[in-house]
Amino acid sequence: MNSDISSAATVDALHHEEHSSTGIENKKLMMWLFLASDCMFFGTLITTHLIYRKLYPSGAAEEGILNIKNTFNIELTSFSTFILLMSSFLMALAVSAMHKGQLQSFRKNVLGVIFFGLIFLGCQVYEFTEFSMGNPTAGIPPLTLSNSIFGSTFYLMTGTHGTHVAIGVLWLVAMFFYSFSGRMNIHSAIDVEVAGLYWHFVDIVWIVIFTAVYLIEYI
Amino acid sequence: MAVSTHAPVADKRLLPPSKSLIGLIRPDTSTGLVDWLTTVDHKKIGIMYGGFALFFFLLGGIEALLIRLQLMYPGGTVVSAQTYNQLFTMHGTTMVFLAVMPLNAAFFNFVMPLQIGARDVAFPRLNALGLWAFVAGALILNLSWLFQWAQVFGWFTPVSGQMDIVPAIGWFGYAPITGKNYSGIGTDFWIFGLQVLGVASLVGSFNFITTIINMRAPGMTMMRLPLFTWMTLITSFLIIFAFPAITIALVELMFDRFFGTNFYHVEMGGQPILWQHLFWIFGHPEVYILILPTMGIVSEILPTFARKPLFGYPMVVFSGAVIGFLGFAVWSHHMFTTGLGVVATAAFSLLTMAIAVPTGVKILNWIGTLWGGHIRFSVPMVFALGFIWMFMMGGFSGIMHSAAPADAQQQDSYFVVAHFHYVLIGGALLAILGGLYFWVPKIFGRMMSEKVGYIAASAIIIGFNVAFFPMHYLGLTGMPRRTHTYLAGFGWETWNFVATIGAFVLGIGVLMVIIDLIRTVASGKPCGSDPWDARTLEWSLPSPVPAYNFAHNPVIPGRDAWWLHKYGKKPEQEIEYEKTGPEGIHMPSQSWWPLVSSVGLLVVGVAMALHSAGVPYCGYVAIGGLGLSVVSFFLWALEGPGGYHLTPPDDGDEPQKVLASYTPEPSQKLELTH
Amino acid sequence: MNAHALSLESLIKEEAKRYHAFINLAFILAILTSTEIVIIFLPFASWLIVTSLVVLSLVKFFCVILWFMHLIYDRILLFLLFMSGLLIAVGTVIALMFLFSPNDLDRSLFSFNTLSMFFNSFCFVA
Ligand code: HEM
Ligand SMILES: [Cu+2]
Repeated sequence: MNSDISSAATVDALHHEEHSSTGIENKKLMMWLFLASDCMFFGTLITTHLIYRKLYPSGAAEEGILNIKNTFNIELTSFSTFILLMSSFLMALAVSAMHKGQLQSFRKNVLGVIFFGLIFLGCQVYEFTEFSMGNPTAGIPPLTLSNSIFGSTFYLMTGTHGTHVAIGVLWLVAMFFYSFSGRMNIHSAIDVEVAGLYWHFVDIVWIVIFTAVYLIEYI
Repeated sequence: MAVSTHAPVADKRLLPPSKSLIGLIRPDTSTGLVDWLTTVDHKKIGIMYGGFALFFFLLGGIEALLIRLQLMYPGGTVVSAQTYNQLFTMHGTTMVFLAVMPLNAAFFNFVMPLQIGARDVAFPRLNALGLWAFVAGALILNLSWLFQWAQVFGWFTPVSGQMDIVPAIGWFGYAPITGKNYSGIGTDFWIFGLQVLGVASLVGSFNFITTIINMRAPGMTMMRLPLFTWMTLITSFLIIFAFPAITIALVELMFDRFFGTNFYHVEMGGQPILWQHLFWIFGHPEVYILILPTMGIVSEILPTFARKPLFGYPMVVFSGAVIGFLGFAVWSHHMFTTGLGVVATAAFSLLTMAIAVPTGVKILNWIGTLWGGHIRFSVPMVFALGFIWMFMMGGFSGIMHSAAPADAQQQDSYFVVAHFHYVLIGGALLAILGGLYFWVPKIFGRMMSEKVGYIAASAIIIGFNVAFFPMHYLGLTGMPRRTHTYLAGFGWETWNFVATIGAFVLGIGVLMVIIDLIRTVASGKPCGSDPWDARTLEWSLPSPVPAYNFAHNPVIPGRDAWWLHKYGKKPEQEIEYEKTGPEGIHMPSQSWWPLVSSVGLLVVGVAMALHSAGVPYCGYVAIGGLGLSVVSFFLWALEGPGGYHLTPPDDGDEPQKVLASYTPEPSQKLELTH
Repeated sequence: MNAHALSLESLIKEEAKRYHAFINLAFILAILTSTEIVIIFLPFASWLIVTSLVVLSLVKFFCVILWFMHLIYDRILLFLLFMSGLLIAVGTVIALMFLFSPNDLDRSLFSFNTLSMFFNSFCFVA
């Protein structure tokens, strides 16, 4: 096909006016449907965790295998929680910038989101390695995927969330580079908005996990 | 986003070869096999769904007949106990996921966009992914048979020494038998097969919901949607809310088997009962996923052949929605005998009884539709009438299970087998066959044989009752499900023998339908566009339907639009058309990526199962397969939807009044706005 | 309201208004999160702490979906769609928590103390 950008833009505009019975863009509607369904994914993971948490107050079938409260590192988790919240803020700004057609400001904000996302993932990697090694000198036993039921549910749930974050980072990195292709214009705002919805959702899932998995251990 | 050629053509094969922005040529001008592999046309996708599903339906049928042969006489030795377990596992899994669900999906794909006056679904390439992922999942499950044969010939032995290479864990895969110590790589084939099938159903459903909510023709308000479209919508919602539960349950199980987690490891505190809950949280909505679309089909057939509008349309829609919603609140009725506690048992019992009410409402409405109608007993109608009666009997035994104390006697006996075959064969299957006879003239433009149809319908309905009605007796006199044989002297011999005879009669009926279908596609008698004198929009189109569906966008005058158009007395009851401009009709470009990414998923599934069997390097192959899928998703995004323009060759073949321009009234938009 | 129905100019004005909402929201979220972290170390009854945590995270949750995710600016249909998924998910979670405490559940039939039982089912440590 011809690579003339200006004609691409007109065709873009033509396709943009696609007919929609509700006035909601198809992509946005579908992303919301996906998120509604994703609630059920995380709901299942979180209940698995909570059920086992209730059945085994020590986190494992045998007492004394774990010391969850000491394994957890509330400072680190709080830090990454803040990071994720702020990345959500930047994402909202990025979407806003794209709606106004300000490519430069979009790039800056999206870079910030990517950066914060990577910090969050880094914290998670650090957390996972620390937890799984434990600290024999301080008397903190290791918490691994297979040494206890708590390990299984904890890692699978936070790991699934981490995977969501990683996919989000990949998505935004791809968009960042795409923004230099010259094909991104105000009509691409919907694509950015959809990526943004995904990113915010990852954030709200973390809001729930932070409370239901981390904070609750301290009560 | 790819750029389209702006000179519209009448035939896409005339398009100049066009490169997408990443430099690859999109297969828009392809013909033959490549055209089918890369198509994004919902009609072709629907036909392929149907074809593959009918193939797997035959496979599942053969498995069923083997089961019945084994049970024909006490102490049967047709198959071993192990093979028997594999047969009933694969039969159940195949019939639910590879036959009835995709047959329904075939109708969703073909019929729904036509019924709402759309040119395609919202995301055509995603629709193709739904199809190919379904095929990939089906292959993962069934390739296990090949490895089993390889094992028989001594070419392949799993390191664990567990020889259940074909899944042998039941379609419900209860823990802890799915654990690594108790079952072999069959379980892995099953896990990955189901997981990939889940992907297929999920993307399909997101797409259908978006299409129905957003792509309706002007004037097609929600309360004018044909019933089949409504049921497609509700079923799709059930899928997107129910599948996550089993997806996560399967992920947990996969981690147990591959990475040593403890979700269902009893030794480490895992709770097998959790699997049951998660499975049935999915499983109960799943049975409605199977039946609701077929209720939609029947709600199309009855008004057509009674030549009356559907009685109580809003009630039928509403009761469908209520069934869908309540379907999420009854799952524990599959677990009454596990000791749920008094309150939970009572609650689930009551809710299960409650769900029979909207079901009864529908039956009332169908009978109301027939009442006083000018009934024609054409083949689709025969199937639809059979559906009402047989499904109702399945509903009755369902209500009998809903009383927990009674269910304690029925659980795990042939009584339950009788129940769900009445709702699934007597219900879902009869309606699907009715739908087949109903829509094949639209799909292929050819009529199926009436004579064969009547004979087949009689064989199916009679054979089915002979096979499954006795199972009520068998169950109530104590014959357990899922056992490979039984001893003489319990009084089960006669009915088992009778059931096997019935099953073969049923099988012959089904075979007749499929053979006649093949004959029809090849050389059936051509028919007009509206052979049944039907009511909904798809019948306003020529048969077979052109690639762009509607040469001019229709403007919908009311419910049963085509009927109004034909027989309405007032001029405003006619369908009007927005004239297509000189730029032609925008068509989405074809794509390889749905197919390629599904191949990636297929590789992942098979390689993971072989990895678990100890075949070297399979872990890397699986990672490679995943990589292939990820890369093709990226390329998919980069190539964009693309598109070209077609001009309808001739305006003459549509009985229409073309409007120069049309602005919808605000009230015709979806009611739910700020 | 449909953003694309607006002209670019009014759109930019609208986005500027949203910008302030976003900044305020970021502050509020930070404060609520700090509150959560402090609360867990306070010497209150555990049911009180659990309740406040639930309320605080609910507030955060809805703030994000309403403003950051534009639900408050968008068509209500999107809100209803999302809520239907969320409600089914939350309902299932709660039902499962009850189902895994059959003894509490059956006792509650006689004591009518369901509310405290509900919170008990989330307080494993207390
Ligand atoms: C009036 C509506 C219905 C009621 C009250 C009902 C009730 C029940 C109950 C209580 C059971 C559990 C029996 C047991 O295992 O002891 C059951 C099993 C089953 N039902 Fe239904 N049902 C209804 C309709 C349907 C429909 C429409 C379908 C599918 C199209 C269906 C498919 C099944 C299947 C497949 C099973 C067996 C699952 C298994 O154990 O493998 N039911 N039903
Ligand atoms: Cu059920």
